[in-house]
Amino acid sequence: MSQSPEYVIKTRDVTKVVDTTEGELQILQPISIDVNPGETVAIVGASGSGKSTLLSLLAGLDEVSSGEIFLDGAPLHSLDEEGRAQVRGEKVGFIFQSFMLVQSLTALENIMLPAEIAGLEAPRERALEALQQVGLEHRGGHYPNQLSGGEQQRVAIARAFITQPRILFADEPTGNLDASNSDKVEKLLFDLNRESDTTLILVTHDPSLAQKCDRQLQMQAGVLTEINGQKAPQREAS
Amino acid sequence: MNRMSANLAWRLFRHEAKRGELTIILFAIMLSVAAVFSLSMFSERLQSALTAQTAAFIAADRVLDARHPVDDAWLREARQRGINTAHQVYTRSMVFAGDNMQLVSLRAPDNAYPLKGQVKVAAQPFEPGVTTEALPGPKEAWIESRLFQLMGLSIGDVLEVGTQSFQVTKVLSEVPDAGFSLFGGDPKVMIPRADLEATGVIGPGARVTYSYYFTGDSDDLDAYYEWLRPKLDREIHRWMSVEDDDSPLGRSVGRAEQYFLLASLLAIVLAAVSIAVAAQRYSQRHYDPVAIMKTLGASRGMVQRVYLLQITLITALGLLLGGLAGYLIQQGVIWAIADSVPVDLSAWHWRPLWIALFTGVICAVLFSLYPLLKLFSISPLRVLRRDMGATVSARFIQFLAAGSAILILMWAYSQNLRLSLILFLSGIVLVALLLLVTFGLIAVGRRLGQGKIGAWQLAWARIKRRAMDNSVQLISFSVTIMLLLVVLVMRNDMIQQWRDQLPQGTPNYFMINITDAQLPTLEQHFAAQNVSLDTFYPVVRARFVAINGEQVRTDVRKEGEEENQRGRDGLGREANLTWSDTLQYENRITQGVWWSERPDDAPSGVSVEARAAERMDIKLGDVLTFNVGSEVVDVTVSSIREVNWQTMQPNFFFVLEPQAMADFLPTYMTSFHLPSDRKPQITELMRPFGNVTLFDVDARINQLRNIVDQVSMAVEFILVLVLAAGSLVLIAQVQASMDERQQELAILRTLGAKGGLIRGSVLVEFLIIGAVAGLMAALANELTLYLLQTQIFQMAGSVHWQYWLVAPLVGAGVVGLLGAAGCWRLLTLNTSTLLRKMV
Repeated sequence: MSQSPEYVIKTRDVTKVVDTTEGELQILQPISIDVNPGETVAIVGASGSGKSTLLSLLAGLDEVSSGEIFLDGAPLHSLDEEGRAQVRGEKVGFIFQSFMLVQSLTALENIMLPAEIAGLEAPRERALEALQQVGLEHRGGHYPNQLSGGEQQRVAIARAFITQPRILFADEPTGNLDASNSDKVEKLLFDLNRESDTTLILVTHDPSLAQKCDRQLQMQAGVLTEINGQKAPQREAS
Repeated sequence: MNRMSANLAWRLFRHEAKRGELTIILFAIMLSVAAVFSLSMFSERLQSALTAQTAAFIAADRVLDARHPVDDAWLREARQRGINTAHQVYTRSMVFAGDNMQLVSLRAPDNAYPLKGQVKVAAQPFEPGVTTEALPGPKEAWIESRLFQLMGLSIGDVLEVGTQSFQVTKVLSEVPDAGFSLFGGDPKVMIPRADLEATGVIGPGARVTYSYYFTGDSDDLDAYYEWLRPKLDREIHRWMSVEDDDSPLGRSVGRAEQYFLLASLLAIVLAAVSIAVAAQRYSQRHYDPVAIMKTLGASRGMVQRVYLLQITLITALGLLLGGLAGYLIQQGVIWAIADSVPVDLSAWHWRPLWIALFTGVICAVLFSLYPLLKLFSISPLRVLRRDMGATVSARFIQFLAAGSAILILMWAYSQNLRLSLILFLSGIVLVALLLLVTFGLIAVGRRLGQGKIGAWQLAWARIKRRAMDNSVQLISFSVTIMLLLVVLVMRNDMIQQWRDQLPQGTPNYFMINITDAQLPTLEQHFAAQNVSLDTFYPVVRARFVAINGEQVRTDVRKEGEEENQRGRDGLGREANLTWSDTLQYENRITQGVWWSERPDDAPSGVSVEARAAERMDIKLGDVLTFNVGSEVVDVTVSSIREVNWQTMQPNFFFVLEPQAMADFLPTYMTSFHLPSDRKPQITELMRPFGNVTLFDVDARINQLRNIVDQVSMAVEFILVLVLAAGSLVLIAQVQASMDERQQELAILRTLGAKGGLIRGSVLVEFLIIGAVAGLMAALANELTLYLLQTQIFQMAGSVHWQYWLVAPLVGAGVVGLLGAAGCWRLLTLNTSTLLRKMV
């Protein structure tokens, strides 16, 4: 089923329908997009427009209702949760608005976590290096609640890059930060992305952040369009 | 990968332990182990100490009674197994002193007798006895006080037993295995075992009991009995242990043991409840880490390994700390009561430790099962959708696991399926009731909670929301309160019954053989001496010869007096018959009717004691034949009576309808109480009535009272332990729920709600929950107690109205206070700390 990873993300007519008390609700209309390796893509849109849902599908955190998603060649739509977890472990990094660090592990241990899960060699050494890259080498032994929001997000960034993922998903990475911390985190994110040639999918409200990306997609009531006005499913399913 | 799971589990465990995040679940496991260990260790120690003490009443740990001497090899075998043995021969025989003769109970012990308890002697009749290590020397006889009175003997006189003469050298005041019967039978005479054969009284045709006494390690004794059992003949041999003791004492101790067992079982349930609450909270707190791990690519198997390992580590630490704490607690209790309970409590028992560890493990495993299943089911999507909970909602797994854990533990521990089922089923009824109430509350709350937001509305709003989500909490409060009530009420009822059994002024002397003619003089004399006499019972000695014309086989049984003395296993040929128009105190008709309800023309009736009837297979309507002197009396069984033998009152196997005995001249028996300080007056009191036989049961009653006091005290301590454990569980529960409230409090605080409003709302909420839990607990308590009292403790069931009011009030008070205290602690934190804790 694997396809050659010409595109690092390739979706065909992906929809998401959920059951609610008032009947079925279609959150995403059929979406077909292709993302090239190393591309940075921003998905913008109002709250409730479906951008986080799309992110969850692209990252393999949730199941599609219909359609196909290939993530670096792996057919997420036909994998079960275990299969998707494996794909996430091998190919994906995450950064969240609420940082999502494990509160009972130190900063260093949080960074080590994905490397350990993926079974990489020398996770501690890698984590120390990553910690240094985000400028927090002196804070490795601190617990998340002993760090400021900006520091926590830098730890999260270090954690996201430690496995050198093919694709990085970031959900409002600066949403919880003040302006100065936002700038630092943004810079770090794009610098590391460039260095490691990672594909970045970024969900944000922030137009200035979105503008730093190669492509901008607009989500509106479950319909995805390129920000230049073109509807996103530009290509027919092949 | 596996090593990685272990590393991660260990790391999480280490950090969480250090940061105090495991405190509650660790504490719950610790509590379960400590409570079960301390309670069962203490009760086991106390039981074995009490059993050792009661063993004195059969003069050994085990006794083998035989109608013929047993094979020497049996005794050699016992000694080879490290068991101590002693031997005594009983028989009834006529003894002579000058012209006087008297039927006596002759005892001839060997030098090892008694293995437990003491023989007491006095220098003069009716003087208080002192303990002696020695036994009568060759050709010496020690005789009971009343034999001096009956035969006009003095110390130094000669008593003829069979063909031999013995010099009376001491007054025999007490032997350990005299039994508790008031009809002590014939006066006792003790002579050396070595002199017995020469007297010729145990020749062919004599009724002789050969008693063999054994003491030693309980396991050795049991093993020995297993070895011996195939060789025993039911017609000839009887094996007895203290546990079989059916005397008031044996029953008191037996009941106390049941109570300890109950208390320990309840401690197990308490522990289980606290672990259930803690495990649920533990699981909820780990939803995020699991979602994160899964998002980062961890497989389900890996998450399972990490958390199972972590639970294992927590359990192991809990077991270790709990074992230590439990040991210290019971050691502390033993130290505290060392002065008031004069028994050796230092024996070490392994069983309580195994039971406690087993309890901890089973609770931790089975109660964590459902919360862990929920935890494993957490979707990685939670990282984006923060409100996403567990996707598993198979509550029946939770109920099944919790239910079977509790039942398995109770059964394994008590080895008493009935007791376990009673407690378990009451628990189920309680839970069902609570679920109903929960639904009721939601309905009520919808109405009450409307209107402008105040403390009352906030409280109802929370109850409404949480009643469904968190019915576990209400149930756990109720179960805790119920268990505490059960232990408290059982203890009150039991101690009250013990005290009632031996109230102050219980008769300590009994007189028999009072003739009709003496009656008025005796009454006057005693009144003049300021001693009040109880009821006079007419007594006629008779032989019980036939049931429905069929001869009663008595030859396989021991002589009646010895039987009666021990109050069990069959009657002899001799029976004391009495008659009365009224039913005696603490007697209850179980079958048939009392005379007054029978037709006037019905044949003369007899009321038979229930256990005697069962033993001899006597049924309503059977005709019993008695020989009174040369006369034959036929009576029809018209009722079967249950008799409370635990009252120190005269009681009879056969009570006849007065008309049946109209032609016989009875003697009378009665009883009186004489305070200890007036004891020296007894000789003066009895002097005019030389023929009247006096039984002094003062020593017996004091022994009994001592034991009952000690057992009561032990029960009190157990109660205190259980109450302490219960309170800790309540605190843990409130604390756990407080954490869940944190978020709401933080939001209310942020929105500017005043401390008073928040405190008020939490207080009202906990007051309502506490009151409901208390009421439910009172209801369930009533059911449980009724079942326990009637099915296990053999007591009359009783209703405890006062607790229907007390329990809700105390429940509301305690839970409300704890809630307010927990809330107050949260309100001292500033809002940003609260908000940060939420993340």
